[in-house]
Amino acid sequence: MATILGGPILWLSVFLPVLAGLIAWLAKAESEDAARITAGVSAILLAIPGALVAGLYAAGMVSQGVLDPVYAHFKGIGTLALAIDGLNAPIVLGVSAVTAAVAVYSVRYMLTRIEEMKAEGEDTPGMGAYFFLYNTFAAAMLGLAMATNLVLFYIFLELTLVPSFLLIAYWGYGDRKRISLLYFVWTHIGAVLLLTGIIYYGVKLGTFDYLLVPQLKPLGPIEGALGSAAKIVAVLMSVGLFVKMAVFGVHMWLPYAHAEAPTPISALLSPNLIGLAGYAYARFVIPSFPTILAGWRDFLVALAFTTIIYGGLVALTQRDFKKFLAYSSVSQMGYMLLGLATLTSIGIAGAMMHYLVHAIGKALLFMTAGVFITDLHSLRDIRLMGGLARKYPLTAALALYGFLHLAGMPPSPGIWSEWMILVGLYKVYNHPLTTLFSLALVTAVALTVSAAYSFITMRRIFYGQPRSDRAREARETRNAMIASMFGLLLVGFLVFILATPVINSLMSTVSLVIAGLH
Amino acid sequence: MVEPVYATLIWGVPYLGAGILGILYVVGVKNEKVYGIFSALTLLTAAILATIVGVDVLRTGHPVLHQFKWIQSINVSVSTYIDGLSAIMVILVSWLSFLIGVYSIEYMKGDWGVPRYFFFFTFFVGSMLLVVSANNLLLLFIGWEGTGLASYALIGHWYTDEEEYWVGVPGRKAMGTPMYFEPSHSGLRAILFTRVGDIGMLIGMAIMYMLTGSLSITEIATKAPSWMAWLASHHVLTLTLILFTLGALAKSAQFPFHEWLVTAMTGPTPVSALIHAATMVKAGIYLVLRFAPIFYYGAINSPAPLHAVVVHDTYQFFTLVAGLGAVTAFMLGTMALVSNEFKLILAFSTASQIGYMFLAAGAAGMLVTEVNNVGFAMGVLAGLSHLMSHAVFKAALFLISGWALHVAHSRFIDKMGNYAKYMKWTALSMWLAGLSLMGIPPLSGFFSKELTLHAAEEAHFGWGFILGALAALLTAGYTTRLIVRVFHMPPYEEPEHEPHEAPILMLGPYLILALAALAIGIAWGPMTHVLAKAGQLTRAGALVLKVPPSDLMIHITSTVATILGGAIAVILFVWYLYKIANVNFRAILARSALAKATYDFLFDRWYINAIIYILLVYGFAGFAAALAGVDFGIDWFYHVGLLAFFGASSFALRALHRGRPDYILSMYLYMAGIVLLLAYLFWR
Repeated sequence: MATILGGPILWLSVFLPVLAGLIAWLAKAESEDAARITAGVSAILLAIPGALVAGLYAAGMVSQGVLDPVYAHFKGIGTLALAIDGLNAPIVLGVSAVTAAVAVYSVRYMLTRIEEMKAEGEDTPGMGAYFFLYNTFAAAMLGLAMATNLVLFYIFLELTLVPSFLLIAYWGYGDRKRISLLYFVWTHIGAVLLLTGIIYYGVKLGTFDYLLVPQLKPLGPIEGALGSAAKIVAVLMSVGLFVKMAVFGVHMWLPYAHAEAPTPISALLSPNLIGLAGYAYARFVIPSFPTILAGWRDFLVALAFTTIIYGGLVALTQRDFKKFLAYSSVSQMGYMLLGLATLTSIGIAGAMMHYLVHAIGKALLFMTAGVFITDLHSLRDIRLMGGLARKYPLTAALALYGFLHLAGMPPSPGIWSEWMILVGLYKVYNHPLTTLFSLALVTAVALTVSAAYSFITMRRIFYGQPRSDRAREARETRNAMIASMFGLLLVGFLVFILATPVINSLMSTVSLVIAGLH
Repeated sequence: MVEPVYATLIWGVPYLGAGILGILYVVGVKNEKVYGIFSALTLLTAAILATIVGVDVLRTGHPVLHQFKWIQSINVSVSTYIDGLSAIMVILVSWLSFLIGVYSIEYMKGDWGVPRYFFFFTFFVGSMLLVVSANNLLLLFIGWEGTGLASYALIGHWYTDEEEYWVGVPGRKAMGTPMYFEPSHSGLRAILFTRVGDIGMLIGMAIMYMLTGSLSITEIATKAPSWMAWLASHHVLTLTLILFTLGALAKSAQFPFHEWLVTAMTGPTPVSALIHAATMVKAGIYLVLRFAPIFYYGAINSPAPLHAVVVHDTYQFFTLVAGLGAVTAFMLGTMALVSNEFKLILAFSTASQIGYMFLAAGAAGMLVTEVNNVGFAMGVLAGLSHLMSHAVFKAALFLISGWALHVAHSRFIDKMGNYAKYMKWTALSMWLAGLSLMGIPPLSGFFSKELTLHAAEEAHFGWGFILGALAALLTAGYTTRLIVRVFHMPPYEEPEHEPHEAPILMLGPYLILALAALAIGIAWGPMTHVLAKAGQLTRAGALVLKVPPSDLMIHITSTVATILGGAIAVILFVWYLYKIANVNFRAILARSALAKATYDFLFDRWYINAIIYILLVYGFAGFAAALAGVDFGIDWFYHVGLLAFFGASSFALRALHRGRPDYILSMYLYMAGIVLLLAYLFWR
């Protein structure tokens, strides 16, 4: 039985950052000091849900779940509520930690960016507007993770889309008008497919809930209730979420959007937003359609491996650091899908763990890219980097730690998600000989590709001799950007050491997710 | 009895030390002495703890277990278990680390990366000690990956890649593939080559976990008969065991993974000594020594209907291990014959010697068909004893090379010569360690090498034994060549600096190690008792490695006499070639095409590096480029092709209703009808 919180903390944690952003915007908080204050307040507000999750973990309350006391029931729609349980706790933690750290990081980056755009004679909204959009985006992702109902889920999904679209359109790079539109249209294609599925689901069941309130149990299989349409709904929801996740074949929007967004936004899009689709898959697709998915298992595993290897190898050919990171995100989403596709409790738990791992690691790396963009006159071309570890020792260490997340190596929590996903996979596919042999080969290629692009890129950027004047003249300064990255490093390390409650509560909650399978 | 928590502290202290070093760096401590001294003190503490616990285990005969919970739901616990094998390993690793740490303080003086060096050095020691004392497989794996990470960072310590830090002859190519490696390239190779093996290991672990529901090595051992039988009944036992062992093969640089170790020589020499000779590369053989008894026990105790299949599969697996060991021992031995870099010769030699250890452990396992428990125990302990003696003498050799490279300002032996004249103590150390490597009595290497070959003989592993024996001759050859050229002959190229004896902080450690190689050999009688005791205390299900100490003594048989005689003959022959006959090898190479081809084949390492690069590295790079083309195609389809299609359709359709209000109105009504219908369905 879920615990009901003493006050509407969850709603407030979604609402307050938006309010703070709105105030900053209306109060025209444009100066550097005002931006600093806004960033500080936003970071604290965004960190609250993360701190709350940490506290709940410490108190051992996550497994049964906690529910916000403010919820409302509507006939035909279901109950609109926010809740945290074992499944979404790592997601909330990931969103909260990254958005809080990046809020601090944003100030110096965005001031430089705005100045640069003004120098180019472009008219651009100021820091107040930035923080309003930023906070709305971040808060909407928190809402998305905590929602218990598809209507609420969809509203929050749209609410992530609009601010992120505007953030790219206002402060992005390259052909940013076109790219923001491209992003908007593509995400909408995914969203509309999902919506069609959602509408069918809700109309047929008479409720849009996926978690029963206040028990916080999944609704369970609905294949019987949907009858012959179940397969269609499952396809619609899957494809919709896969577009969002940028699985191979429908990944094409991601490299544009994530590479050309202003870097703090890339550090939210890649680590936080796309993985939420994977979370949604575990939250309501798998529990709803267990039998259908069991039939798709082989196909989904193959799709996951294709995504991992394809994304990883294409990443290796990139020259732009941010585009490299974007393709690596495609590849990393493959790991999440792989864990989900095993349909085992440990595999799905591993996928959720991987959300958190990827969030921290990829945020660190995008932030690294942002450090160079800010300090070295928009240096993004890996070919012009080289030898930067000598000039940026702390940044190099932080980036290496980020790469360890992607390669799944300790002392990053990547080892946990990698291990859990592999155990899930080999629980299902361990014989006969040909299966084990070919799958081991594919696994070896996939994981080696991840390690290869991580360490090869580490070398291209940080080792050897500088390959351009900009890289030669570089010098590290210890500023808020580096400090915020250290904050994330600390979160990563703590998640590695103190993974106990995270994984334990995931494992106990995930058993409900796959209850319909057996 | 000691406090059990000491067992955990053995690896906990270095980890903590590394953490503190990291913090010191971040808060801006500049004095490099702080890092070196702090690191050495940390390592000393670990060494003392390891000695207290290890000696207690061996003396009282009670293994020490200390554990606390970590992640219960996936059966990961922080569980440290010091049994006989672990006791020897922790003592060996921690003291070597301490000695080499002290050497490093002097060696790294004035380097620009001192804090980073000692951070990773200390982190490495923690990881290595964790590997050899963990009782939970995933915990072991964390240490395992930690050693890999530290190795990567330290191989690439001089990541600015100046030419003086390379390995290989600049400009040399084999089959179009460059055969010279920058530090950052070598680090990359190390982590990726070993990563491939580690993935196999993870898969093997996952399967064992699935079948036993546990990650505890003790429990996996106890349940070995049943899970091995299950796998055998599904025809995947051999493959699973191989997958699991891939990690060990890669870590210990066995063929075909040996390439990374060769180029790892770009690291600072103390790192080569500690990580790439004495300890980390031994993690692989440690794992095999740890699990060979488990697999052996599982096979001989497997349930009746499947017994024959399990034994057969296990035999296949052990044959592969022994075979790869023998091949590596021989192949890398031949490469060492022609190499012209001091450290490179030692690196070839390291992989080759570890090959012996795999040969011993594998050959021991092959006895599974005969259920020869004593023979099995003898083989495993042969592997352990060679591990031990090799760690000592190879560390000494590497530390000497550090000084040799320093005085020559070069890594090439062509620039070294007549060192015996300038440094008596170093020459003495070199001869002691070298003779031990060549397996000459009474040095420790003699005993351990003969034991290994004896194990191969015992298992009737004919071609493995022959390769091993040949490798013993090769070892004598390349080691004598190295010592003669560097210590007793004038240099081929005039060096810029006059050599002189090493400072005490550097000389001390290698002299101590060289004398230790002698001492262990002289005291081999008592040593056999220690080893036998360690074997007895090593857990493997219900089986213990029982062997009478006398079986670990070398008895002069015709085989032993032949191998020893051969080795001595080779030493004298090489001495004769260089010192007395004064053979001009360069002239021979210039004259004879066959000699040149052989030389190139060996010098370019049997072209294995080139083949790996052409097939895998360039292969995947090409594949990646092709996929980038595919990606471009997908992009074009969505963002150009589809747009053009819809643009054209729109243009065509617009022509239909330009200026047609009736048409537009009907479309509008139609859409409104759909919306109303949806609304009705929704609120029904």
